[in-house]
Amino acid sequence: MSERWFPDAMPRPAVDADTAPFFEAAARHQLVVQRCTACGAHRHPPRPLCPHCHAFDVAWEQVSGRGTLFSWSVVHQPFLPQLADKVPFVVAVVELEGTGGTRMTSNLVDADLAALAAGLAVEVVFEDMAGGLTLPRFTPA
Amino acid sequence: MSGRSACIVGVGETAYTKRGGATESEYRLALHAILAAVADAGIEPAAIDGLAPFSDERSGPWTLAGDLGLDELRFATTTAMPGGGGACGALMEATMAVEGGYAETVVVYRSLCQGQFARIGGTRAAAEEAAPEGLATTALETEALAAFSAPYGVLGPSVMFGLPMRRHMARYGTTSEQLGHIAVTERAYAAANPHSVMGSRPLTLEDHQASRLVADPYRLFDCCLETDGACALVVTTAERAADLAQPPVAVLGCAQGADGAQLGGPMANAGSSAEGYGTGGGARVAARLYARAGLGPADVDVAQLYDNFSGQVVFGLEDFGFCGPGEGGPFAASGALGPNGSLPTNTAGGNLSEAYLQGLNHLLEGVRQLRGTSTSQVEGARVCLVTSSPGIPTSAALLGRP
Repeated sequence: MSERWFPDAMPRPAVDADTAPFFEAAARHQLVVQRCTACGAHRHPPRPLCPHCHAFDVAWEQVSGRGTLFSWSVVHQPFLPQLADKVPFVVAVVELEGTGGTRMTSNLVDADLAALAAGLAVEVVFEDMAGGLTLPRFTPA
Repeated sequence: MSGRSACIVGVGETAYTKRGGATESEYRLALHAILAAVADAGIEPAAIDGLAPFSDERSGPWTLAGDLGLDELRFATTTAMPGGGGACGALMEATMAVEGGYAETVVVYRSLCQGQFARIGGTRAAAEEAAPEGLATTALETEALAAFSAPYGVLGPSVMFGLPMRRHMARYGTTSEQLGHIAVTERAYAAANPHSVMGSRPLTLEDHQASRLVADPYRLFDCCLETDGACALVVTTAERAADLAQPPVAVLGCAQGADGAQLGGPMANAGSSAEGYGTGGGARVAARLYARAGLGPADVDVAQLYDNFSGQVVFGLEDFGFCGPGEGGPFAASGALGPNGSLPTNTAGGNLSEAYLQGLNHLLEGVRQLRGTSTSQVEGARVCLVTSSPGIPTSAALLGRP
């Protein structure tokens, strides 16, 4: 099991045919994003159609897991009772290395809140949650 | 202006109270607001032949049509511009129906009692229903895009809208103090508006800076109110308006839209350029709006800019051309939005201090400014800009004194 940062009692993601490979890879502790096999454009979150060339065919490309902090919000209000002892926590928008600027919303964990800045180098970590769900989060590199 | 040009001829509203303060049902408030609006216009309710709600309106047109005794409901629509992006979109669709001859008298309305139903912010409402173990199916699981935000704690609009604002701050140096000036200015306008929820509670910049962080960069006083209330307005043709009780306010133009960056909402990231993230995404809506009305930012005498969070006003100022990209914070802090500024803004107190009717109250205040009856009247105001929410598919309108 991985290190734990968040409680299991969080909203769980919908998983459907278009998104399942993302979560299957995360369970293997691999970070993948969709890449259009026709035009090569990366995209995230997973969607059924390439908005650039309208191809449905897609490959799931493993990325380095490194990136930079693009934007963030330090959440102070525990929107759920089970988050009361988890605040403040950081919701992060991370620009993923090697993806043409593709961004992913996740969390930044184990970070110095006073040192948050755009461009901060980060890398992926994985948190194994209950019920076979694994979520990628990020930590300062 | 041709005989069929759309005008707003009536406005109506219930008392606005804190969440849970309404003594009647949300549906009854919708009836009260619509009746008040048609009474203000000087027409009978039976003359309404169109209804245009927006957002997740629970008081449905067909039920209202029956209870109001309409002769025939010929036009009903709910704009697809979501949530707070929709008030001006509803006005646009009412305008299209009237000017196109599909209806004569359309009422735009919103009734919203957050004390009687789940609080606004679907992700949060759904999250609250999650089973203790968090394993139950929730409404979130039907939202493919929320699947890539809610599990990470994006559980309220403050987080969703805080993320692009933080990007703006990182890029341009916009500060919390600048946002505080917006909150303080709106509270001062609310103090003059006896209908506002927060008018009796003064707010200083120090109070703003001392208020607790909800989701950085947004503090408590950067966040809109959660209230109970309803409001409505009546749209008809200029020809018919000439015979009615109130001086008509012309709908000079409307626009709806969403830049690619906003097509999937602010959390989607898909398709958004690095430049587009952390803007309001409404620059092209603004350009279409001004072109349609044959006006520009310099013609705007007073503005009602959507403010579910204080920073949304910054985005509105930039998108609609009152300052350059990145300049919205200093512009707001300069005093420009106050009663003696170059662009008096949210002159009834806005979503931050009047009430949260998802911006339909902004349209009502625009009408009052052009009738000359605002509690913070801008002398000689002839043109008012009203915007709906930045950061999501949105809409805007220009209103004028004919």
